[in-house]
Amino acid sequence: MLSDVVCVRCPRSCLIRVAVEEGSVKSVEGYGCRLGFEYAVEEVTNPKRTVCSTVRVVGGRYPRLPVRTSEPVPKSKIREVVEALRGVTVKAPVRRGEVIVRNVAGTGADVVAEMDVEPEAA
Amino acid sequence: MIEVGKDVVVVGGGPSGLAAAVRLAELGYSAAVVESGDELGGILIQCIHDGFGTKLFGKALSGPEFASSFIERLGELGVEAWTRTHVVRVRLEGGSWVLTAVSPRGVLRFKSRAVVYATGCRERTPFEIRVGGTRPAGVYTAGLVQRLVNLYGVLPGRRVLIVGGGDVGMIVARHLHLEGVEELLVVFPEPWFAGLPRNVQQCILDFGIPFRPRTIVKEIVGKERVEGAVLVRVDEKWQPIKGTEEFYPCDAVVFSVGLVPNASQLEELGAEIDPRTRGPVVNEYFETSLRGVFAVGNLLTPFDYVDDAVETAFIAAEGVSKHLSGEARRDKPIPLRPGPNVRLLVPHRVEWASGRDVTLFLRPSVERENPRISVRSSGGELYHTRRRYARPSLMERVELPRGLVESSPEGVVVDVE
Ligand SMILES: Cc1cc2nc3c(=O)[nH]c(=O)nc-3n(C[C@H](O)[C@H](O)[C@H](O)COP(=O)(O)OP(=O)(O)OC[C@H]3O[C@@H](n4cnc5c(N)ncnc54)[C@H](O)[C@@H]3O)c2cc1C
Ligand code: SF4
Repeated sequence: MLSDVVCVRCPRSCLIRVAVEEGSVKSVEGYGCRLGFEYAVEEVTNPKRTVCSTVRVVGGRYPRLPVRTSEPVPKSKIREVVEALRGVTVKAPVRRGEVIVRNVAGTGADVVAEMDVEPEAA
Repeated sequence: MIEVGKDVVVVGGGPSGLAAAVRLAELGYSAAVVESGDELGGILIQCIHDGFGTKLFGKALSGPEFASSFIERLGELGVEAWTRTHVVRVRLEGGSWVLTAVSPRGVLRFKSRAVVYATGCRERTPFEIRVGGTRPAGVYTAGLVQRLVNLYGVLPGRRVLIVGGGDVGMIVARHLHLEGVEELLVVFPEPWFAGLPRNVQQCILDFGIPFRPRTIVKEIVGKERVEGAVLVRVDEKWQPIKGTEEFYPCDAVVFSVGLVPNASQLEELGAEIDPRTRGPVVNEYFETSLRGVFAVGNLLTPFDYVDDAVETAFIAAEGVSKHLSGEARRDKPIPLRPGPNVRLLVPHRVEWASGRDVTLFLRPSVERENPRISVRSSGGELYHTRRRYARPSLMERVELPRGLVESSPEGVVVDVE
């Protein structure tokens, strides 16, 4: 079976053709880089997305802190990941890469901070 | 008044400005970055989605992560960054560029031998596309909504109409959907989304967000707050089809109808402007028609990839170095012209006597499978390179051997065929 997959990992949007026979990937064509190869194989076997959202942060310049999953999570879990972040509040200072929620929604991925937040004088 | 003297002043602290300053400092020049906003990073601070840096770092970073890597490097190099400082005018005085800026600390004067403009783009507004009706509260641009949602956690409404099928509109639609907006509709006049296929997939189709092609907003309805909008279908020429008007109830309308380079200061200063890009005309080192004044990043034209915007900054930094060391220019510049299937092309000419190969960025005006990007002179084809596909939503980057351009002093035409 042939599947055409639009790579979503970067703006180039490569159109990648994956051939699958008896449940295993036989060929992958049209990817522009390694990220796309991995993405296409995953998209036909177990589709995943990186989830980017925000959580509440107190004591910083802005009331929200951008966060993301440390790795792509199954597409079907996106909603649950976002829900799991609803009640979360962190306090400044925050360091980029700091883990905000461990093993979010049982996906094995952590939710990490996308940027530093310095404490602001009130 | 605070006076600051530097070899180079960079106006704008987005990724392009940061990249220019980093490279200039690495080349041994003293530089200062001047940024209007509260912090460095430009538009990237509000772009919390991932997909930045795949070319430069081989990783899909988020906007803030990408910006941080440059901000940290700037700190290591000890480059001065002036935030909350807005450049209001630039003048040439006694052979030096003098920039006047305002900040909470008062008025500042920056004096330098070269200037790099990296002021990015601004969003087009509903006024520019002539939407009828009233102007109640609840009408936004997409960039503003991105800021409100991603930095302040404020949603524009419960039922939101998004106007525009470009990348920014799609990315905002996904955020609003995930952050709990109950009803969303995306409308646009084209037959299909104008943005990148990856965004159609991961922002719209992944979540089943409703959309209507060939549809525009005729009128916004509401006295104090938005109550809805009158939608109308359009034909291939984007002309409204009579009798297809329909009232769509909503409490916010978000416009994502394009970006325009922030080039007004350069224009006032007398820099030549390209009517296609609405940004400055530049040579192969991204120097404007004003010697010693460079323009980089989205100020040239909106880039899809931050990596490409940053590359223009790296090249401009080398150009600054050539300018400051007084390297030779050609007697007559060689024009680089877009062909019939190219909507826009930067840079616009080759002006230096020697240097690196010429890095071109072009946006096709047509969609083609297995196209060739060709470069011709009056004598015939000089160069071509193949692509798997070309489409208007995707900017193409071409590296053109310098010798080929130099062999056609009357100019070359770049096209997609
Ligand atoms: C919604 C959206 C999504 C995107 N997604 C991606 C993606 O997934 N991957 C990718 O690679 N790229 C993406 N891009 C493109 C990328 O963000 C841009 O190419 C890049 O940010 C351009 O950087 P810049 O520095 O030229 O402009 P900007 O980031 O706009 O920075 C310009 C800076 O100049 C400052 N400034 C303006 N005027 C003055 C003045 N007079 N004085 C002082 N300062 C001034 C502004 O405050 C601003 O900080 C996206 C863009 C948008 C809008
Ligand atoms: S395959 Fe690589 S270059 Fe192509 S879209 Fe995916 S990440 Fe980008």
